[in-house]
This record gives sequence, structure tokens and C-alpha cells, in this order.
Amino acid sequence: MSTPTYADHAWHGPVTVDENVCIARDTYRIRFACGEIARRVLPGQFIMLRLAECNDPLLGRPLAVYDVSADADGKPHYLDVVYLVVGKMTRLLAETPAGARLESWGPLGNGFPPTPAEHLVMVAGGIGQTPFLMLAREYSGQRTYGDPPRKVPPSKKITLCYGARGSEFLACVEDFRRVGVDVQLSTDDGSLGHHGLVTELIAPVVERSQWPCRLVCCGPEPMMESTARIARELDLPCQVSLESPMACGIGVCFSCVKKIRDSSGNWDYRRTCVEGPVFDAADVEF
Amino acid sequence: MPENPTSVRLDVQLGRLRLANPIMVASGTFGYAREMAGLVNLKRLGGIVPKTITQQPRAGNPPQRTVETAAGMLNSIGLDNDGVEAFIARQLPYLAALGPAVIVSIAGKSSEEFVQLAQRLQEADGIDAVELNVSCPNVSGGTDFGADPSLCERVVASVRRACSYPVLAKLTPNVTNVAEIARAAEAAGADALSLVNTCLGMAVDWRRRRPVLGNVLGGLSGPAIKPIALRIVYQVAQAVKIPLVGIGGIASIDDAMEFFVAGASAVQIGTANFYDPTATMRILDALPDALAELGARSVKEVVGTIGK
Repeated sequence: MSTPTYADHAWHGPVTVDENVCIARDTYRIRFACGEIARRVLPGQFIMLRLAECNDPLLGRPLAVYDVSADADGKPHYLDVVYLVVGKMTRLLAETPAGARLESWGPLGNGFPPTPAEHLVMVAGGIGQTPFLMLAREYSGQRTYGDPPRKVPPSKKITLCYGARGSEFLACVEDFRRVGVDVQLSTDDGSLGHHGLVTELIAPVVERSQWPCRLVCCGPEPMMESTARIARELDLPCQVSLESPMACGIGVCFSCVKKIRDSSGNWDYRRTCVEGPVFDAADVEF
Repeated sequence: MPENPTSVRLDVQLGRLRLANPIMVASGTFGYAREMAGLVNLKRLGGIVPKTITQQPRAGNPPQRTVETAAGMLNSIGLDNDGVEAFIARQLPYLAALGPAVIVSIAGKSSEEFVQLAQRLQEADGIDAVELNVSCPNVSGGTDFGADPSLCERVVASVRRACSYPVLAKLTPNVTNVAEIARAAEAAGADALSLVNTCLGMAVDWRRRRPVLGNVLGGLSGPAIKPIALRIVYQVAQAVKIPLVGIGGIASIDDAMEFFVAGASAVQIGTANFYDPTATMRILDALPDALAELGARSVKEVVGTIGK
């Protein structure tokens, strides 16, 4: 096992909720101060969040870090996490007021590699837009992340193809626009943007582009599988950020495995938490 | 009278195995320890039981492998591991250099395979004991050895003959009478018994009319099973003379003390490592005070003192 498969740079401890606001239907943005994670986190990494001293729900939940903001001294200090209410834990999290205590550990996972991308095309479905704001800030040259900060050659263009069930579920769109991202929307019910699947937006974006495109994708598994197929057909590099049920986030429980192919084409179960969550789409056995 | 916590002795003896303190980590909940190095001061642990190894590499069960349940979780990992040779080459050197006792958890499909594993480990350096996983509910035949007294006796006796290490037998709670199995393991020469592995359970997705777990059934662990584990430790303590290691939902100093008083000489922290990675350190911090509160000068003085 190589060093990147260990959560050696993770911090674990209590955090206090600063604010927790509803930003779209069933969708919330929670903010808490945690300089230790904020100064280390890279785009595409995640944290575990758990209700403090709570036995039910018991386990932490893996959540992408949406944004990092600075304290009065300009140092990375606050973490923002945007989450969709899907079950018991997120329902209780949505009711958690400012001042409440949570437990967190992170940053975890590999995050997106700093591969150059002249035209970065981010494909998001459902709540899958959340790992992309920091990536957009980084590839637009507006921010650096990590300790020490990593350097990424700025992209000439960044597009977000983002689909949800209906317009009421679309969250954070203005945040992306403020970064200068070209936002293309789709909804299943046609209430806003393209009436249909978000994956149907990819080919037109690529065809219109003046630059070589690189795809990154996060969302429901069928949508990521579809994006991987489109990337293969268009012969474009593509990375997917996988989500699998996870108990620990640090590589010890072996829950979150996914079939990943090696260079000889054989698959093995790899842990999404420490060997991912970002994998080359071509290596994932969907 | 409360004792002075600084003078409380924490070392414990499990048959031929000596631990600097009674706080261990359970197999399958701590990886190969290296994964936890960023969060836990590994040197402080009394013993480390790495993830169970088998003779050949095993891919493990298809996902979904875990699901949370009320105050617990079900798992059906299926002994995903790279096999004994990879363990000896890649994991053991790190574990052996740490300091705490290294108790290697092994599982075989047959008595012969347990023996071959023990013989192979005998040639390796840095191992302090073996724990026989005769109780994994997630592999075909995994619980057979732990559910049948004569099979359990045979596998423990065979491993005792095959290697010089102290032998711990980890038993399943999924039998009518654990004491009967425990007596068989004792008769076969087990140094200690680890009680208990997970409780067989299931989760159902009724909307899709299908089981949640890829392997259909899974093992329940976490706070939900603590009362079951305590009951079994208490019952087995009346049935055997060898030391017991309590396992099942232990997440705090109170949990650990309950197991000591009920009859466990040491404990293993399991599922808590997933949701509270520094639980072992907090329990270790609190242990001397808790023992002193009972007027004890050593762990041994409180073991099995329930009702006394």
C-alpha cells in the first residue's frame, strides 16, 4: 500500500455549527469553524460528519467539502458542506442549530488530481455539484488549496453541466456563476433548463468548445456510468467521484469498495474512501 | 477506599499472552493499524488484532457491504484480504515494530487450513498470539467451527500443536449455548476466549423487495449488541477458568468496566473505531481512575467481581 492510501493528514475532533441554512428543496449549507481541515483540504476531498455523542444515528457520514472561507486574518478557517436530506442522519443534521456540536474528521480521500484542463467540464447530478465549487475556483486561478498550496494551470474555460429532478432542487448555481463558470442546467421535469438528462448536455458542450475538454463527474451511479461511456466515445479524459456507503472514511472498515480495473484489465475491490473517491472513469467497473 | 490511580497496575495476563494494558482493538475494525496512525497513538494500545487473514487472497463480498441499523451496523465484508503471504511481507513488519502485542486473526475453511496458517505464522517474526476466527458469519462455513463443540475443540487443539503462540478462540454469539463451545475450546488448550463476534442479522429494502446487503445476511455490531456480549461474558465466566476478552459495542470507559466486572480480563474495541477513531485513547486515559474508584490496585482485582 502506498502512502496516499492512509488518512495521515486527517484531523479528528469536535466542531461547533456556525450556521445551517436551507438553500434549496431538502438542501442545506452547514458552516463550521475548523482551521485544521480548512487549510489542508483539496477540491474533491471529503469529511466525515457525525452528531456528537449520538448512538442513533451512530456512524459518521461522508460529505464533500463545498467551500472554505477565511477568518479575519485571511487564514482558511470555515468549512461549508452542502447536503441533501436523504435519511435519518441528514434529517437530524438539518434540524441542528447554530452553536450545536458535531464531530468531524478529515480531510479524507484523494480529491481531484491537479491535471491540466484547457476546458474543464464538470458534470453534476442530484447533489453532485458539491465537490466542484472549489475545483472551479482552483482551475479559474482564483484560489489555491492545500498545505502547502498546490498549483494548477488555469483553464481557459470551465463549464458546469448540472441536472436535478426539478428546479426547486437546484442549489448553489449563483456561486458557480460568480466564479465565472458557464452553467448549463437540466431538469427531469423540464421546469428549468434542458428537459432531460444532464448527460445529454455533455456532447453539445464538447462540440462547441474551442479547446480540448476534460470531464469530471459526480452524481448518481447510472449518471456517472453514462458520463464515463460518453467520455469513452468522445475520447476525452474523465474522472468520476464515487459515493459508496461508508462506515469509517479512513480505510479500516472495507465497506466502501468498488470494482476498479488495473492496467492489465483485472478488477479488484478498492476502497472509495482512501483510494478514491476520485477514479479514472475508464478504470471503474460500473 | 479509592486507590491512587497512578499506582494502579494495568497489565493483564491472558494465558501465556501478557498485555501491557487490557485495551485492544478488534479484528476487522482497525485495518492493519497503519491506517489509524494519523489519529491514534498506536503504541499505547494493549494489543492489536489486525483484520483477519486467510491462506489465499479473498476479494470479499459484493457491495453493499455495510448498513447502519439502530445503534449499530450490519456488515458483510466477507474477509476481504490479500492472504497470509502478503500480510507477512507488507503488514507484519510495521505491526511488529509498534510495541503492543500483535494478535494475528486467522480464518480457515478447514481445520487443515487453520493449521497451515498457524505453521506459516510460526516462521514469521513479531507475532505475540493468534486469534482463531471460528465465528465469521460472512463466509460460507465461517461459523461451523464456532457452532459445534467437537469441531471447535479439534481446530483449537490442532492450532495449539501447530504453533507455539498463545491461542485465543473468538466465538460466535449465534448459538444456543456459548458456554458449551467455550468449554470445548478450553479443553483443547485455548489460552483465552474472545467473546463475541457479530450477531447474525439482516436489513431489508421493502420498496425494492430485496435485502440491503450484497451478501443478504450480515453481522450486527456496535452499541446495540453490548447487552448480548455482556450476558455471554457473564455466562462463560461461570463455565470456564481461562481468561475472557470482552467484545461487543464497547465505546466508553463505562462499557469497558462493565465487561471487566462481568468477567472479562481484557476488552477489544471494535465498531467504535469506525465512528469515534480515538475511543481507545479516551478509554485508556480514564482506566486508572475507574479502577481506583473501585479500590483496585490492578485490572485483575475487578475481573469477574460482579455480585461479590
